[in-house]
Amino acid sequence: MGAIGGAPAIPRAGRSLPFDRLRRATWNGERIDWSAYIFILPFLVPFLVVTIGASLFGVYVSFTDWGIIGAPHWVGLKNYSRALADPWVVKTWSNTLRYGMLVVPATTLAALAMALFVNLRWRGYTFARAAFYAPNVVSVTVIGLVWVWMLDTQYGLVNQYLGRFGVPDIPWLTNPGWVLYGVALASVWWDAGFSMVVLLAGLQDIPGELRESASIDGATPFQALWHVVLPLLRPALSLVVTLLIIGTLRVFSQIYIMTNGGPAGASASVIHYVYEIGFSKYQLGYAGAISVMLFATILVVTLIQLRVFREKTW
Amino acid sequence: MVSRVTRRTALQLMGGMAGILATGVAPAIRLAGAAGKPIELVHWSWLTASDGEVWQQMIDSFNAANKDKGTQIRMEVVPDDQYGTTVLSAAATGNASDFGWGTAGLRADWVKKGVVLPLDETFKQAGVSLSDFVPAGLAASRYGGKLYMVPMDGMSLQVLLNVDHATAAGLDVSKPPQTGDELLAWAGKLTQREGDKVTRSGFLMTGSGVQPTVTWGIVAYQMGFRRASPDLKKAGVNAEAGVQAAQWVLDLFDKHRVSTRDVTDRYKAFGTGNGSMFLTGPWTLNGYVQNKLNFISFQMPKVGKDRSTYFELGGLEMYVQKDQSRLERTAQALRWLSDNSFLWTTKGRGAAMRKSILARGDYKTAGHDWKVRGAFIDGMPNAVVGEVPVSAGPDFTIYTGGGFAAKTMDPVWAKQTTPKAAVDALIQQWQADLDAG
Repeated sequence: MGAIGGAPAIPRAGRSLPFDRLRRATWNGERIDWSAYIFILPFLVPFLVVTIGASLFGVYVSFTDWGIIGAPHWVGLKNYSRALADPWVVKTWSNTLRYGMLVVPATTLAALAMALFVNLRWRGYTFARAAFYAPNVVSVTVIGLVWVWMLDTQYGLVNQYLGRFGVPDIPWLTNPGWVLYGVALASVWWDAGFSMVVLLAGLQDIPGELRESASIDGATPFQALWHVVLPLLRPALSLVVTLLIIGTLRVFSQIYIMTNGGPAGASASVIHYVYEIGFSKYQLGYAGAISVMLFATILVVTLIQLRVFREKTW
Repeated sequence: MVSRVTRRTALQLMGGMAGILATGVAPAIRLAGAAGKPIELVHWSWLTASDGEVWQQMIDSFNAANKDKGTQIRMEVVPDDQYGTTVLSAAATGNASDFGWGTAGLRADWVKKGVVLPLDETFKQAGVSLSDFVPAGLAASRYGGKLYMVPMDGMSLQVLLNVDHATAAGLDVSKPPQTGDELLAWAGKLTQREGDKVTRSGFLMTGSGVQPTVTWGIVAYQMGFRRASPDLKKAGVNAEAGVQAAQWVLDLFDKHRVSTRDVTDRYKAFGTGNGSMFLTGPWTLNGYVQNKLNFISFQMPKVGKDRSTYFELGGLEMYVQKDQSRLERTAQALRWLSDNSFLWTTKGRGAAMRKSILARGDYKTAGHDWKVRGAFIDGMPNAVVGEVPVSAGPDFTIYTGGGFAAKTMDPVWAKQTTPKAAVDALIQQWQADLDAG
């Protein structure tokens, strides 16, 4: 029995027509496998809501005077102009950049030295590899508390050992001139392990033949390192430096735990200031504006850095 | 018949089950909770150290005493640094806890926003009488004449003295310093140095943060400086006294050399014998007693014109609720906790805020030795340096490590600016805060 006149077709198996279309949907001529999308939903939904959504909301809030309670009121660029005139923004930006100038090169060099050492595969290298990486698995709170004790001016271990070499007590965390060095020391110890793993992976990708060829051609170990290994390690170095720059520009936990921004604001970072403004004074609009400015800074610095390190494959 | 479950069918089944769980079971749980008895009041607290343990005993005692009376308290610890945002964001949706810890004078902004509830009417309905409360405690808990907090304990800053150090220095611990000159003389005898370097502070300080800021604030008040006039119109009354007080603090480091800026953790430094006299609050007592530190307390000496000292008044506040029917039960719970605050004010933290408790014969003998906690109780009449109850109240607080006062005064202690420049900067901001109301 056929269909009567122009009556609409009944969807097969009782399914609704849109669902059927969705099931048969294609992309570039291939049928879409929706099950894959269902599998990534548990990640995608929180990511969109908590990360992307919150970030966009943060940008919106930066143009308002929102203080958690009540509706946000649009204030245009007022928060941004306030930030540009705020001496604490200048101070914290300066502190953060100086901290980055200490931590990024120091961590990269330390990680490179550790990676080169492990890559030599001398006796006990597996233990060294684990030992170098171990600090990275420790919580930053623990790292901070331990280093506060280690760097105590009066009875800290670091000064005790330095004292044996005749070095007078260094006020690592109690003097405005020294405090960034103190925090940086803890950060390098904490961060270097992860960077080492990345550099080690890069080193292990370099064929041994290249170094052998250099050696046969009369290159010293240093020349082989400088002219063969480091150029080939450029992609890994680029990644390490990029991640370190991003990490240092948004440093917070170490500073919050070790110095709370002191003494005299000498270690207050941008994020520490954002935290104070947002979570102590509840001026979320202003905190949002500073955060957006930091985001823009990170973006620009990363783009410049990627340009400098422009990746080349061999 | 063989039925084959495809991957697609399995996914659909799982999705359906998840939907059922999300839409059906969760409300069922909520309904069960709402219908269940007894009513459970939610209490947020930031107390985590030894005082937190005693407060937990208070809550346990309440629950035991009210087991058959229909009200129980569930205490949840919210970290101190997240407390404000947690309460504000929860209150915005009507989901804040029924009550929580507050500090007198610092809630003007929350009062304006309607986050904290006025208690007078609720207490009246719940039959709570305020006549037994210490008047100063009630006064500090009011904003615009209305009561917003049940004062639970008063914490004044007084001086702890390491008895072993004092005895070794030949000092009579039964006659601790009463004046600024005596304090400096004692500090001089208690200080240990190696060359120019202070290795043990006679008067324990840190180079920045809370300790120098609160010491400055107290000494400045004693010398006549006021952060705000009584009518909250003028900031920085008698600014010169504020400058003199800052110089007095600086002199501890550089002139008298009885303090060092090199102390990282002041609590630890006093506990480990790296300081002999320590201006602090009663919340430190439990820890030092437990560690068997040999110490006594004495009242803040008269450095300026009197023996005024800083105080912090802790208490319980009620937060705005969707369900108004819970308010009376909450008020009853607060009354019980206040009525039974003997344990809290003898072993827990500060001085009692109830006249009947202060008058009890065993008030001085319960809890820690009177030599240890006596100054914190007897010194309460001198504890007059409190908070300034305006929206930007935190800008005025002198007990702060990272707040406006500390950030402005820290460069003075680091010798990066002058006392006058810092005090002028304080007054400028404070005046703007007062003008904003």
